[in-house]
Amino acid sequence: MWNYIIRRLIAIPLMLLVLSLVLFLLIWTLPGDAAFTAALSIADTVNLEKLQERFGLDRPWYVQYGDWLGGIFVGDFGDSLTPPHDSVMGSVKERLPKTLEVGLLTIILSAVISVPVGVISAVRRNKPEDYLLRAGTILGISVPNFWTGTLIIIYAFVWFNWNPIQDWVEFTEDPLKNLAIVIFPAAILAYSGAAYTARIMRSAMLEVLYSDHVRTARAKGLRERVVIFRHVFRSALIPVLTVVGLQLGTILGGAIVAEQIFAIPGMGLFALERIVARDYTAVLMITMIFAAMFMFVTLLVDILYTYVDPRIRY
Amino acid sequence: MTERSPAAPLPDLQDQGYAMPEQERFNPFRWALREPMGALGVVLIVLVVFGSFGAPILKTTNPRSLAAYSGDNLAGPSSEHFFGTDRDGKDVWSSVLYGGRISLKIGIATVIVGTIGGTMLALIAGFLGGVVDFVFSRIADILIAFPAILFALTLRTALGEDLPDLPGLPRAEFVVVLAISLIFLPAAFRIMRGTVLEQRAAQYVESATVVGASQLRIMLRHILPNITGLMIVLTSISLPAAILTESTLAFLLGAGDTPSWGAELSGDSRTFFVRAPWIAIFPGAALAVTVFAFNIFGDSLRDTLDPRLRGRI
Repeated sequence: MWNYIIRRLIAIPLMLLVLSLVLFLLIWTLPGDAAFTAALSIADTVNLEKLQERFGLDRPWYVQYGDWLGGIFVGDFGDSLTPPHDSVMGSVKERLPKTLEVGLLTIILSAVISVPVGVISAVRRNKPEDYLLRAGTILGISVPNFWTGTLIIIYAFVWFNWNPIQDWVEFTEDPLKNLAIVIFPAAILAYSGAAYTARIMRSAMLEVLYSDHVRTARAKGLRERVVIFRHVFRSALIPVLTVVGLQLGTILGGAIVAEQIFAIPGMGLFALERIVARDYTAVLMITMIFAAMFMFVTLLVDILYTYVDPRIRY
Repeated sequence: MTERSPAAPLPDLQDQGYAMPEQERFNPFRWALREPMGALGVVLIVLVVFGSFGAPILKTTNPRSLAAYSGDNLAGPSSEHFFGTDRDGKDVWSSVLYGGRISLKIGIATVIVGTIGGTMLALIAGFLGGVVDFVFSRIADILIAFPAILFALTLRTALGEDLPDLPGLPRAEFVVVLAISLIFLPAAFRIMRGTVLEQRAAQYVESATVVGASQLRIMLRHILPNITGLMIVLTSISLPAAILTESTLAFLLGAGDTPSWGAELSGDSRTFFVRAPWIAIFPGAALAVTVFAFNIFGDSLRDTLDPRLRGRI
C-alpha cells in the first residue's frame, strides 16, 4: 500500500512536468505571431521592445521554459503579461481560498443531498417518491447552472428586492455575511453535482440490492436498515466515490460560471479574465494548479477505495 | 486435396413441430409503452429540431437581418412577440428558434468528433496494444487532467482567428467544435478502450485469427460491430453534455452576432434582466428542455440496448 502511494506520489510531479511542457509548447506554437508577443502587444504597443526584453521573449522557447521551470522551485510563477505586470503568485494566493471555500461548500451540500436521494430512490424503486426524485435529478443534470444562477438573481431582486451579488467579505471577518455570499454559487453548483451523483448512487444501489450477499443478509434475519446500510450502501459507494472524485476535479469549471454570475473574486473569474486578456503566464499557472489538484484528488480516491472495499489492494 | 464429405442434412426442426422463434421486429409503439420517458424525449427532440430548422416559417424574423430591430424595445410577451423583445427590439422567440440551430449543429459535430473519434482511437490502441496503447493512454491521461472548461476557453480565444472556414462550419463554430470535442475525446477513449480490451480477449477474435483474418479485418468486421452498441449509447449520452458545454462557453465569452442560447444570457444584456426577465427565461428554458429531452432519450436508449451499462456511463 505505502509502496503504491509513494510510486503514485512520484508520478504526479512527472506528469505535471510533461503537462507543463505540452502547455508551453502549445502556447508557443499557437499559430500567427508568437503568443506571448501577441499578448504583450495588445497590452502595450509603445513599450513592446522593452517588455519583450523584460520577459525574455526574444530567447528560444527551451530557454524560456527552463527559466520558467527554475522559477517554480523558488515559488515564482512569473509576472503577468498584461499591465500592471504583477506577480501571478500574488493574485493566486488571494483568490484561491475563495474558490476553495465555494468548492468545499459545494461538495458538502452535494453529498448531503445526493446520498439520501440516491438511497431512497433505489430502496423505493418505482414508487411515487422514486419518480419524483428521479424527475428532480434528471432536471438537475439538464438545467444549465448559469441559467439557475441568473434566475436566482432576477427573482431575489423582483420578489424580495434583494441583490445576492455583494462585495466579498472574508469568513474570518463576518462568517454570516460570508456564508450569505457563497451559499448561492455553492447551491447552484451542488444541485447539478448532486443530481449526477444521486443517479449513480441509485443505479449502483439497485445493482447490489438484488445480489446474493444481500439475499443472504436478509435470509439470516438482519433488519432491513442494517441490510441497506451495512451491505448495500457500502458496496454501492465505489462508483459514487469515482464520480465524486471526478467532480472535485471539475470544481474550476463550475467556479468559472458561478463566480462570473455572482461576481466572486476567485480563481474562476481570474481564469476567465486572464484567458480573455491572453495573459498566458497566468493561464499556465492556473492550469497547472488545477491539474495538480485533480491528480492528488484522483490519488486520494484510489486510496479511499481500499477503505470502502477491503478486497481492493494495491 | 481431399474431397470434403458432404455435410449431413440438418433435420428440419419445423417439420418436427418446433416453432422457430419469429424474428422480433422493432415496434416503436411497443417501445414507447415500455419506455414512456424515452418516448417523451423523442417527441421533445422532434419539436426542438422542427422549431430550429423550421424557424423561417414559424413567425420569426431572422435575428441577423435588419428587419429584426423592431423598434419595440423590452416589450413583454404578446401575440405579436411570443417571448417578448430584447433591448434592441429583437424578437426573443426568433432568437430562441434560430439559436437552436447552432446548439444542435455544434452538439452533433462535437459528439461525432469526440465519441466516434475516441472509439476509433480506442479500437487501434486496445487492439494493437504495446507502445501504441501506452502512448495513446498517456496522452488521454494528460488531456483529462486539463481543467475542461479552462482548456476550451483557452483554445477558443487563442485559435479564434487562425482556423480555416470549413464548408458549412465557419471558423467561429469550428473552433468551438474543436475545443469541446477535445474534452470528450479522452473520456470516450478510456471507456471504449476498456471494452475493446474485453472484446479482444473473446473467443471469436481467436477464431478469426486462426482462420487467417487480417488485423484490420478483425478490428473493423469483428470487434467494431460488437462495440457499436456502447458507442451509440455513449454518443447519445454525450450529446446533451456537449450542448450544455457549448452554451456555457457562449455564456462566458459571448458569441458575436451568432444567435446562441448561452450568449443571450451573457454580457451587457444582464443589466436588463430584472426589468425584462423574459430575455433570460426563454433561451435558458429552451436549452434546458433540449438537454432534458436528449438526456431522457439517451437513458432509455441505454436501457434498451444494454441495461448492464446503467451506472457505468
